[in-house]
Amino acid sequence: MIKAFLLSTCISLVLSACSLEPVQPWDRDILAQQKMQLVADPLEIYLDEHTYFSKEASSGGQSVGGGGCGCN
Amino acid sequence: MQLKKTQQGPRNIRRQLAVATCSLLAGASHAGGLIASGDNWKIDSALLLYAEKDRVSLAEGILSISKEIDDDEFINARIVTDVLTGSSPNGAVPSNTAQTFTNPSGNSTYTEAANTTPLNHTFKDLRNALSVEWDTPLSRSLRGTIGGNISREYDYLSTGISASLAQDINQRNTTLTLGFSLNKDTWDPVGGVPVGFTVMPTSSTNKKAIDGANTDKTVKEILFGVTQIINRQTLMQANYSWGQSDGYLTDPYKILSVLENDGSGNLRGTNPYIYENRPDQRTYQSLYWKGVHQFPNENVLNLSYRYFWDDWGIQSHTVDLRYRFDFDGGHYLQPHLRYYQQGAADFYRQTLTDGEEASLAYASADYRLGEFVTQTIGLKYGFEFKNGAEINFRAEMITQEGKDRSADAVGVLQNQQLFPDNEAYLLQGGLSLDSDMVIKYIMRLFK
Amino acid sequence: MPDLERRADYFVGHFEAMASNCEVLIDTEDENLAQEITQLAATEVCRIEQKYSRYRDDNILHQINQGIVTRVDEETTRLLDYAQQLYHLSETRFDVTSGVLRRVWHFDGSDNIPSSAQIDALRPFIGWEKVQWHHPQIQLAKGMEIDFGGIGKEYAADRAVLIINTFISEQPDTRVHDTSVLINLGGDLAVTGPRKNGNGWQVGVNSGTSTMSPQAADFSLKQGGVATSGDANRYLKKDGIRYGHVLDPHTGWPVEGTPATVTVVAASCTDAGMLSTMALLHGPEAEVFLREQEVPWWCQWHNK
Repeated sequence: MIKAFLLSTCISLVLSACSLEPVQPWDRDILAQQKMQLVADPLEIYLDEHTYFSKEASSGGQSVGGGGCGCN
Repeated sequence: MQLKKTQQGPRNIRRQLAVATCSLLAGASHAGGLIASGDNWKIDSALLLYAEKDRVSLAEGILSISKEIDDDEFINARIVTDVLTGSSPNGAVPSNTAQTFTNPSGNSTYTEAANTTPLNHTFKDLRNALSVEWDTPLSRSLRGTIGGNISREYDYLSTGISASLAQDINQRNTTLTLGFSLNKDTWDPVGGVPVGFTVMPTSSTNKKAIDGANTDKTVKEILFGVTQIINRQTLMQANYSWGQSDGYLTDPYKILSVLENDGSGNLRGTNPYIYENRPDQRTYQSLYWKGVHQFPNENVLNLSYRYFWDDWGIQSHTVDLRYRFDFDGGHYLQPHLRYYQQGAADFYRQTLTDGEEASLAYASADYRLGEFVTQTIGLKYGFEFKNGAEINFRAEMITQEGKDRSADAVGVLQNQQLFPDNEAYLLQGGLSLDSDMVIKYIMRLFK
Repeated sequence: MPDLERRADYFVGHFEAMASNCEVLIDTEDENLAQEITQLAATEVCRIEQKYSRYRDDNILHQINQGIVTRVDEETTRLLDYAQQLYHLSETRFDVTSGVLRRVWHFDGSDNIPSSAQIDALRPFIGWEKVQWHHPQIQLAKGMEIDFGGIGKEYAADRAVLIINTFISEQPDTRVHDTSVLINLGGDLAVTGPRKNGNGWQVGVNSGTSTMSPQAADFSLKQGGVATSGDANRYLKKDGIRYGHVLDPHTGWPVEGTPATVTVVAASCTDAGMLSTMALLHGPEAEVFLREQEVPWWCQWHNK
């Protein structure tokens, strides 16, 4: 667990170490669009996660919560 | 005296200006509630039809309602109902003779034809689930979310809570997320929970051995994530998550075929099926990465990758790609490709041989613990109305192709397909709108 | 009490504020409603004028301009944030600290041009990047000033529209809910929505005797706002050279070759005002800038 924790911290450090130019609030017009959200259509993602949860041995990764079911 | 020309010449700033002006004008004011959005409920709904070739069919409906109850403070409630019917592989392998099994209730038997994947045909379930979530700012740069969920099926009950914190840093260009969830689940299977590795009766006069105490499962998960704005058009997320399940993790309906130990591949003469048995703990972890990028033509790429592994020996890779093409007038098309590859659990066995169960601690023939690849191809069409409502449809095809294990495919089984490959089709329709629009529409009906 | 006048199928209320003739056009037959709406508009416009007028010594702007560390209220926060965003969006052309130049530039039609020395003496006091603005506190260096004059009228028109919209939607009589109102603050316009007949309010863009590009026209305003920046009558003239009143904050001198006026139609009066002001700051390239913005616009050029 510790190793993986460090890995994702490193990813973020790499991201900020590339000296990214901060995007200012008034330049967020594109990022504010619904289609640019990490989860643009929450119901579609919910249904996909539920479907694959019942068909595969892996689950989660993107967020916590949502609830279980007896389908797996 | 004149301003210097910029190198690129003037650029379009209208939309950025509109965003800025919007926050200038939208702020809370002494006159109170000038922007009417506060009274509006956002309603999202979807209906999914899912059908596997010769197997399970599912209809699932979701209704999700969200409201901004205060400045930047949201509540959401989601109701899900699904109906499942059809057949599911019971874990036994095909045979060159017909095979007879007992139903989970133990009161009747069913017989599967020779050379077909044995299926449990009594799959019929109605599931109702409710989840609520409250999302609120805790300071200028910190958000908190707490949620609860309950899901009830005929034979399964799941209740859970979750909480997360999101801290903005680096001028809100970076967000650190810490999440936690806890689920308490209980099985109440038809005919009771069988004792692992005991015999499945092949006639209704014999009864299976029941384990009365062991039906609960606890699942806890922790997630650490970083979301980073890369530039005006690009956003990335990287998560690490850790989870642990404790308790009854076996599937009470799944069995294993036991073969004669002579290499013939024939089922053993007496008691050829035993109930599967899994460890009572599973620890799993995943690394998840997602990127969203908008191209100058306003098309959007959404790409994610997940590496998942657990202490049962399962490892998987998932790549998910969605690419949205925007057209004039609010139409869009979004192809979807997904590739999933999974390695088998250490105790996954397609078959056992006579006497082997005494030397093994765990074994399962559940295809979901085997080695296989899932591929998905789909297309979504959406239309955004000028008033902000959206309607969309999608169709997808999912194929699952497994690997037959040569060690298990002995004798006559070499002519059988031991992994139950699967093919499924999915149709979905969605509708999103504001309560305001619904009220206006209803009022128009009565005018 | 503002005065009210009945026209063909609407009322017009009048009041004076922000050194302009202000009109409120109300799409109703109900005189009391028209009276109330005009009163609401006048109250809001006067409130903003008092709070942010640079000619008063009893408001928050005066306190800030004294160089005192000031904790500002929510509305002022939004205006300061907006000023900061405009500064960046305009590539530092639009600067609310450039008002100090008015100490030496008096656009009264005379030939009274300030000396380079006078202008250079003021330049240390100009530049938004020198402002210490850290929500909720602001502090200006001694001698610097903030002036919301370039935003105020357009902001007031949009605010009046917001308040009137809320007022109308809260009326118990639902038949009132589609009443449309147009606010006109000395040529800067904002509307609450389309009129009862589904059309907009007719707005004319006049060219007078000047050259207009594109041609002068009437149009119908259903949503958003219109603003006009520039003023053909505010200039200085010396040795045949005309000095317009649009000042470049980087040099302290007027921007050369600006149009006489620029009119823009946009999603709000404030948007329209900022786009027309920025167009002026682009001087002879005003039309290039406007074409890029994908909004309706008109440029009026000085006759050669």
